[in-house]
Parts: sequence; structure tokens; C-alpha cells
Amino acid sequence: MSSRKQARDGLALAHALPDRSLIAMVAAMSLLAALTFAGAFGARELSARWARGAANLMTVQVPDPEKPAIVPSDSAAASRADAVLSLLQTLPSLRRAHRLDTQELDRLLAPWLGNTGTSALPLPAVVEVDLTSGATLPDTFVTTVQSEAPGTLIERNDDWREQLHAIARSLLVCAALAITLVGGIAAAVIGMATRLGLGARRDSLIILHGLGAPDGYVAGRFARRVALLAFGGGALGTILAVLPIAVVSRLMAPLSGAAVSHETWPSLLRDSLHSLTIGGTSTDLLIGLGCIPLIMTILGWGTAQTIVRIWLRRLP
Amino acid sequence: MIRLEKVTWQHGPSAGRERETLANISFAVPQGGFRWLLGPSGAGKSSLLRLLHLEALPRSGTCELLGTSITPHVKRSALARLRQRISMVHQDYRLMPTLSIADNVGLPLRLQKRDEDEVAQEVSTLLTWMGLGARQSSCPAELSGGEQQRTAIARAVVSRPAIILADEPTNALDEAQAVRVLTMLRELTAMGTTVIVATHNDALVRRYPAPALHLEHGKLIGDE
Repeated sequence: MSSRKQARDGLALAHALPDRSLIAMVAAMSLLAALTFAGAFGARELSARWARGAANLMTVQVPDPEKPAIVPSDSAAASRADAVLSLLQTLPSLRRAHRLDTQELDRLLAPWLGNTGTSALPLPAVVEVDLTSGATLPDTFVTTVQSEAPGTLIERNDDWREQLHAIARSLLVCAALAITLVGGIAAAVIGMATRLGLGARRDSLIILHGLGAPDGYVAGRFARRVALLAFGGGALGTILAVLPIAVVSRLMAPLSGAAVSHETWPSLLRDSLHSLTIGGTSTDLLIGLGCIPLIMTILGWGTAQTIVRIWLRRLP
Repeated sequence: MIRLEKVTWQHGPSAGRERETLANISFAVPQGGFRWLLGPSGAGKSSLLRLLHLEALPRSGTCELLGTSITPHVKRSALARLRQRISMVHQDYRLMPTLSIADNVGLPLRLQKRDEDEVAQEVSTLLTWMGLGARQSSCPAELSGGEQQRTAIARAVVSRPAIILADEPTNALDEAQAVRVLTMLRELTAMGTTVIVATHNDALVRRYPAPALHLEHGKLIGDE
């Protein structure tokens, strides 16, 4: 009954507002917001994952690993790689030292070199070292290693963990700014559409005002219609964003340690969609994307309310 | 009731200087009172009616409508509630072009959130009485000027407002219809409605003798 009452006040907002344009513009803004949000979310997740793994890790690269050590500290260590491993075993803060085998090296380098194998390349030996929390290396350790295996590279992952955090924070700030900008543009578009609707119904609004229609009634009529259109646009844009987000997520999966390979685009698309349906996508990401239509709805409702109430102030 | 004391209202700037439309207007109409509003074209009759319909607020002086003092500080929600109790018949009818005649007339009732069955009943009865029973589902554009004017009058009276303001409400009606409308308005005053009718129709004024407000050049020159 009440909806019939509202529909018979002469405003006919279904014909007064530029419905399709508004939905299309809000959909475009929602698509941008969804992609930006997903990008920021992915960067944060990757950063957190890498930082977690890197916290107490050290990577040691020994060039020419099979050559004999120059000044072996352990007579049993014939090669440079073995000599470095022996030295690592002497560290009091050592939890584990593991030299990567050929398969592990292949997997590590697959994102860059593909699945062609690394056996033909003169690669250094890579040793993953897990230290106790907060451990520091003895002052003489690096010198000793260098004397036995010249050119050995020791990387404390701690050093670039902070940089990774800083990059992730910067990306999040940029994403927040981009989403704010997109929201501002969406509000401006909604505001312009509302003003078009007000212009189209100027005479009817003056009549309604004269009959005693409160500002809240008129603003509510516009706000409900605009909110509905904004929700439609928001939902459309978010749905359109899901597929590219899923594909990029699958392409980035190896960077987060997952073993994924795709031969063709159809299989990539199929796997991407499959990962969405079986829960392979983060719940937080899906919740965030689901919020975009709701945020657009609220933005549309609030913007229309504001614009209409300001417009009505022209009338006493 | 209506009470104005030394009310001044200025229209917007005109030709580089402000044009004073109404000046120093003072009069009172009790509840259930009827007044003719007379004067030549441009005397300010429509402006005074607009002021009383709260389409404009006075610049100075005291304006009291239905016990509410109208000042620039009155809340907009209070003005809206007041407008629901003051109906106006405009010269240009101001009907909603997208609505049927029945929906146009029912609009004030719907804004007051009346029950839909009650709205349908009231509107149908009134339109039949106004001779528009067969045109209820027509759009304003399909009606003659007289029919549109009767629709506007029906919309003004349907909610039983406390004040009815009418700007030349019979200029598109034949004499029989004009008499019928004036009779109805006079009957409404007996039920407590205050009515002010602006007209140029001297015959009608002679036929229905009542106190009149005479305006000339935006000034009230007679209240008799």
C-alpha cells in the first residue's frame, strides 16, 4: 500500500533520473575500486607471508660449490659447499641448515625460468638457514666463510623484511587514496545525476512542496531510487571485477609458494573460477568485495539526500 | 486565522534596484472568515496569496497563520506541516502532468498518509460532485481549461484545509460552474475554513457580498 502511495506522487523518478548512465558510471567506479582493493589486499598478504617466512631466515649462496675449499676448517669437507655447511653447523643459534637440492632449485626458479630445469646452468649452492629468534652472527663468521669459499653471499632476510613492510604500507596508502578518489568521483557522478533528476522534475517538486511535502519525503524518494541504482551499478562492477581478480590471483599464486602451472588461457580461466567456488580465495577478500555494492548504495543514498535537501533550500 | 501586521515583501532585484511588491500590509481574517481580494492587475494580489501560502516569507512585519508566527527562523518541517493545512488554487492550476485527475486530487491526502481506501472514496465523491466523475483516469493534458480548474479546486478542498487561497478560481468556468464553486467555498467557511478569493469578476463579487481586501500598487487601500 505504501509503495503505491509513493509511486503516485507525480515524481516518476524512473523516467526522471538517467538510470542506465548512472548504473554504468557506478559500475565503472566499482570495478576500479574492486581491482584497487584486491591489488592492495594481495600486496598486503604477500608482504605478510614473505615477512613471516623471512623473520629468522638467512640465505647463503656458495658459488662454485663443488670446488675444493681453500682453507678447510674441517678436513672431512671436500667441497666449498660442504665447508660452508660445516661452518654453519658451528653456529650456536642454528636451528636448521638445509642445502636445496636440484628439484627444489628448479621449483624456486620456475617463475623466472619456467619448467625447463636448471641442471645446465652454473648455479651456486643455496643453503636455507633457520636461526633462533633474534640471533646475531659472530663477528668473524663472514670472514671465515669467505676464506674457505670466496664469493659466498650471506643474506639476512631480516634486512629486507622492513623494506617489504614499507613497500606494502605504501601500496596500502596508495590504494586507500585511489579508493577515496574513486568514491569521490562516484559521489560526484551520483550528485550530477540527482541534479539532472531535480531539473527534470522541477515543476512537480514545486507543486509537491506547495502541497506540504516535507523535505525528508522528497529527499527520501530520490535517495531510495538513487541508492537502488547505485547498488545495481556497484554489484555489476564488482561482479565484472571478480574474474580478472581471480585470474591475477592464480597467476600470482607461485609467488606465495603455491605450485601452480597453466598451459593455456582456458585452463587458467577454468582454474581461476574453480578456486573461487571451492573456497580457494581469501574470505576477507570476498567480504571486502561484497562490501563495495553496499558502500555504493550508502554513498548514493547519502549523496542524493544531501543534494536534494540543498536544492529544496531554494524554496521557503 | 490569518493576521498580518505591517508586512512587507520584496520581490527579487528588478532593473538594478529592488522592487517592493507588498508594503505595510495589515489585516486579519478570523477562522471561518471569507474575504474577496480585489484590485487591478499587478496590484499584488497573487503576491499576497503567495505570501499567505508560504511560497515566500515576509521581509518585515508580523505574519501569523493558524497560530504560528511566520519568521525566517521557523523550522522547515513546521512550514511543511502548515502548508498541508493551507490550500491554494493557482491561476495556472499546477496539476501534475504525469498523474491522472484522481491521483492529482488525492495527492494532498496521500502526503498526509491517509488510508488508500479513504483516499479513493473521498476523491471519487468530490470529482463526481465537481462533474468530473467520468474523467477520473484522464491526464490533465486531456482536459479543457475549465475541467483543469475544477480539478485544481477539488485538490484544494479535498483535505478539508484550515485555509483556502484561490487566485482567480473561476476565470475558466462558465457562470453556472462558478456559482457552484463559490457556493461550495462559502459552505466551507461555515465549517470553519478561512477562504480568500482573488478575482476580477465583479458580477461574482456582487452576487456573493462579503468583506473585501482592496490592493493597489502593493498597498492595502481598503479592508471592508
